[in-house]
Amino acid sequence: MRMPKKSKSGKHYTLGHRLSDAFPRFFAFMLDWASWGYVAYGVMYLLNKYWYVRHVNFYGTLTLPVWGWPVVIISTFELALISHVLGQSIGLQMRGLRLYGPDYTSPTLSMRLRRWATAHLVLIAQPFAVLFGSRKPGLLLHDRDATGYMVDVYRTKDDLPFEKPTRWYQTYRGLFIVFLLSLTFWLGWKITTINLRMLIDRISKSGHIWKDLVTPNFSYLTEDVIPGRTFSILYYMLETMFMAFFATVSGAIVAFPLSFLGARNIMGFNAFGWVIYSVMRTLFNALRSIESILMAVMFAVWVGFGNPFAGAMALFLHTIAALAKLYSEQVEAVDKGPLEAMAATGARRWQIVIYGVIPQIIPSFLAFTLYRWDINIRMATVIALVGGGGIGTLLFYFKNEVGRLDDAWNQVGAVIVAIIIVVWVLDYISARVREKIG
Amino acid sequence: MSQFGTNQAAERKLNIDAGGGQPLPRFSQRVLAIMDDLIRVEHLTKIYERGEVLALNDVSFTVKKGEFLVLLGLSGSGKSTLLRCLNRLIEPTAGTILFDGEDVTKAQPKQLRHLRRRMAMIFQQFNLVKRSSVLTNVLSGRLGYMNPGASAIHKYAKQDVDDAMASLERVGIPEQAYKRADELSGGQQQRVGIARALMQNPELMMADEPVSALDPATAHSIMQYLELMNQEDGVTVIASLHFLSLARRYGTRILALKDGQIVFEGSPAEIDKDKFKEIYGEDAEEVEVR
Repeated sequence: MRMPKKSKSGKHYTLGHRLSDAFPRFFAFMLDWASWGYVAYGVMYLLNKYWYVRHVNFYGTLTLPVWGWPVVIISTFELALISHVLGQSIGLQMRGLRLYGPDYTSPTLSMRLRRWATAHLVLIAQPFAVLFGSRKPGLLLHDRDATGYMVDVYRTKDDLPFEKPTRWYQTYRGLFIVFLLSLTFWLGWKITTINLRMLIDRISKSGHIWKDLVTPNFSYLTEDVIPGRTFSILYYMLETMFMAFFATVSGAIVAFPLSFLGARNIMGFNAFGWVIYSVMRTLFNALRSIESILMAVMFAVWVGFGNPFAGAMALFLHTIAALAKLYSEQVEAVDKGPLEAMAATGARRWQIVIYGVIPQIIPSFLAFTLYRWDINIRMATVIALVGGGGIGTLLFYFKNEVGRLDDAWNQVGAVIVAIIIVVWVLDYISARVREKIG
Repeated sequence: MSQFGTNQAAERKLNIDAGGGQPLPRFSQRVLAIMDDLIRVEHLTKIYERGEVLALNDVSFTVKKGEFLVLLGLSGSGKSTLLRCLNRLIEPTAGTILFDGEDVTKAQPKQLRHLRRRMAMIFQQFNLVKRSSVLTNVLSGRLGYMNPGASAIHKYAKQDVDDAMASLERVGIPEQAYKRADELSGGQQQRVGIARALMQNPELMMADEPVSALDPATAHSIMQYLELMNQEDGVTVIASLHFLSLARRYGTRILALKDGQIVFEGSPAEIDKDKFKEIYGEDAEEVEVR
């Protein structure tokens, strides 16, 4: 049984309600406006590429005149508004909003056009109406015109009349999305200067490299490259594997307790828990967004260029963030039934975690840790690029010798083969182990 | 019951009138009455804020010690919510619940845990930790009593392990003790659930649709364990059931809910065709489980 919205204080349509009604519409409109703005950008870009540079001024760039900006802003606004009132808006679809006439009938064209006109009239007044407006439930400013209501389909699903769902290609909205995607593909092709002709025409340029790479020279497999300064492939390979192993194991040990602090179902029992949860989540996301290669730059400066300690620290930090995020999502996805049953026996919160949560998450924790080890091995091979140590040191050493050494590419080939073998073997092992656990 | 406005539970919460407007009986009579009431629910209301749904609407009833109370009602009538409100797995919006004279709704966390130890619960989906052994699952019924430090490192008292084996023997599956819980059949899993509940030495057993996920024959065997607890150990049972035939066979009293309100309260024999239609709707046909 549903009830009309009513706030605790007894007022019918409080600021909170008005904001929660207004925000999705605002968001939806902004999305539409932005998508039409994107179309305008695309049109400008393609005009430049296909017409201006070719036929007007090869060295110039087509730019908007001063009066062009207001024209574009206003016309995209109008297009967004029209798609809004015609019920063809992507934003409204995304937020589950739909325009209805009185008594949930489909609005007629004249109603839609009237709504389009009133939307202009209330443009400035609308924010004030949201802040200080009516107490009548569900009425934002231009809904009072009674030409139509914006209805939140998800929130009021039960009351809505059944409508036959339309396929995406039957609506302008769906076709517009397809148009946006194709535009993006076209723009992407142009902006990244993809040129298939060049790829084929200049195949001979890199031909000898391929030949050298597939005939690797393993003379430095066990022998130091420069005695006393640069070691053998095998030595660096071991260094890489231990670097990844250290980062994964210690990262997992730190991430395990943190993941419970970042899980909503464990922490969401009071305000204090929510604060910890939010802080942890923000921390994970912030740490995770810094690629380990960037962290390695910092640590290489800190502890010394080429020191594997730098690479290990970079991988360690990134592993904590990545694993804690994955772990906490697993913690949030546990079957709540057993937890409920244990709470019903009078168990303490942490007893429920130990007996109810941990047994459920152990297999996926192990699987994620192994998977992370996999990623860390692959990361460890390139982290030397910025001075993080490991097998990459040799990779880039030989690559930089190209021109000075005749067989530099063959040496690079040997390093690559070693990397491939190790990655492949470890990948196979971790896949088998994950299979066993799952 | 058309609108939110007609529900006065919130007002009552502020000024609870146990007699509901009736003149109160003498003090001594009230004390005597309260003594054999294990549970006394007054004006219990639950509103799910998110969906703005009124799940329980001003429900009041009492359960006497030793009763086998059956809750009847369609899906969504509020049976599960009612059971979960009794041990506050779900926080009631308004109303009072007295368990053996103690106010559950006002209990502080520690007191609530101590109250929950006395009320066991079994579930429709069994709610076992699937990857843990049967024995560990049974032992988890004892968590509320265990020494917290020892339980943190999975160290159990010998007495607890013996009790767990004894409860498993009582439900007839001692040989399954070291298997993983998800290796067992549905009926066996529910027996583990009962064994877990037995570990609490409960005064009240709440069963939330304990046999809905089971076939009729297994359903009867599970219900018979509940009956045994009720009759031999004197445990009060509240079970929510779907089938009227099961309710007639096992219940000593029936409480029927519809749209969060009590529509029938009385002995199983009193439910005739009209009452049945009132509870289950006009189109319902009675189906028997043998």
